[in-house]
Amino acid sequence: MNAPNRFELFVLEDGEKPIEIIEDTKIPNAATIKIVKQDHTLGNMLRAQLLSMPQILFAGYKVPHPLEPYFVIKIQTDGTITPQAILEQACNKLISTLASLESKFNREFSFKDIESGNTGATAGAGNDPYGTGAANAGGAWSQGRDYLDF
Amino acid sequence: MQSHDELEPTVRIREVKRDRVNFVLENVDLAFANSFRRVMMADIPTVAIDMVEIEINTTVLPDEFIAHRLGMIPLVSSNCEEAIRYTRDCTCLAGCPFCSVRLNLNVSCHDSHTLDITSEHLELIPPNDRGQWDGEQEENTDGDELTKRPANFGQPVGKNEPGAPPVLICKIRKGQELKVKCYAKKGIAKEHAKWSPCSAVAFEYDPYNKLRHTTYWFETDKRAEWPVGDNGKEEEPPREDEAFDYMAKPNKFYVEVETDGSLGPQEVVMRGLAELQAKLANLILGLKPQPEVDHAEQHANGVSHEGGWANPAGGAGAGAGWGGGGGGGGASTWGGNEASSSPTGWQSTSPSGGASSYGGATVASGGWGSPAAQASGWSL
Ligand SMILES: [Zn+2]
Repeated sequence: MNAPNRFELFVLEDGEKPIEIIEDTKIPNAATIKIVKQDHTLGNMLRAQLLSMPQILFAGYKVPHPLEPYFVIKIQTDGTITPQAILEQACNKLISTLASLESKFNREFSFKDIESGNTGATAGAGNDPYGTGAANAGGAWSQGRDYLDF
Repeated sequence: MQSHDELEPTVRIREVKRDRVNFVLENVDLAFANSFRRVMMADIPTVAIDMVEIEINTTVLPDEFIAHRLGMIPLVSSNCEEAIRYTRDCTCLAGCPFCSVRLNLNVSCHDSHTLDITSEHLELIPPNDRGQWDGEQEENTDGDELTKRPANFGQPVGKNEPGAPPVLICKIRKGQELKVKCYAKKGIAKEHAKWSPCSAVAFEYDPYNKLRHTTYWFETDKRAEWPVGDNGKEEEPPREDEAFDYMAKPNKFYVEVETDGSLGPQEVVMRGLAELQAKLANLILGLKPQPEVDHAEQHANGVSHEGGWANPAGGAGAGAGWGGGGGGGGASTWGGNEASSSPTGWQSTSPSGGASSYGGATVASGGWGSPAAQASGWSL
């Protein structure tokens, strides 16, 4: 009834800022960055990337409450770079990793297409559409069994 | 620092079938591989029946039961990114051919045998030349979405294909009838699991448990009760006297992505990578100090003009993928789509608060926060 729309978990509201930066007043070179409408998918990946970078003294993230769709990531650097800048670097590094994986996946998929004599979208012969096996195709179903029998 | 820090990530596809792909991912860290898994399960848009107008239902199943079952039927969603928009981003009121797909179901039983109503009976209603549905209020919308749809877009997966068992919706006897108008919408599995293109994603690493990330429960003999799976063949078994390497990190991941047929396995994997890049790109945009301008415009311009960060490390020219994706923030939010807003014959296929097998629970508690229970609550 009065449940919020589910898409509010991942769609920014009108005028809502995606990111809020809170600089730390007690720790040098540290900031807490609130990232709105994102979750563990982004948070954990960034945390791991940041920890692998030499300028980082601390990186951690948390989703403070499972019903509130944001996470905060806390970053402390060694002072050679600001937390915001290193976060941006981490994003760039991840994007390039993903881009290189993308081209590797493309290569691999194209090899597999050739192997199985497949031409892209058209369903090739070498495939077994529903894992039923060609001989068995429709077998169980044509014998009058229904889904409860499986 | 990770030992594999400088190594390039690699991927090896072991098997591709029409509905699944099995691959080995190497030289990435656990968090990365897991985010990739999560994004394929929860963040890739597909279409699924989301609004149902029940005209006649004399079957034994109540309206909302049938509405829910209709929602779960996988529909062909290839090129969902371009071929359809979210209704919340559309200019129409509650749905139009640019943001939805219409399907009709009209079956009645006239003889003395039980009749199965299945996904085969769902009939796609294409829009007319003016991009409107006949007999419905005309919407003043415009776009090129309709031209980007494959011919069977929105059709139940496997319809009219030999050897593909249809999805059973309901069984009826003589004199019973079901007449339903369905509207399929674009959505992602974070909203409702019916929009997930994946029926399962298998994810394994460290088949010998050398890293001791798990503890095996056993009765008498651990080895006998926990046989090593096939992925063990890919790795060196530990020697009997091998010391525990507490610095070791997982580095090789065995993944099998199984789709429900709404998208092909290749499309799921590639869209997953693109979607992750879009998330990161939007974060970079958000980090840049920006004047208060309309949000939607920021997205559009930012991506195409700046370009500076597109491919920083010269990573093979694949960066383009995420360009158009994501985006779509600003446009007017569209309210009242849920069943509750119209007391008439409308059934939302997702009774709010209902069966979300997915959303919060499964994903969020994935335990990957890593040594999660750190006193501070921070995952380090
Ligand atoms: Zn519309």
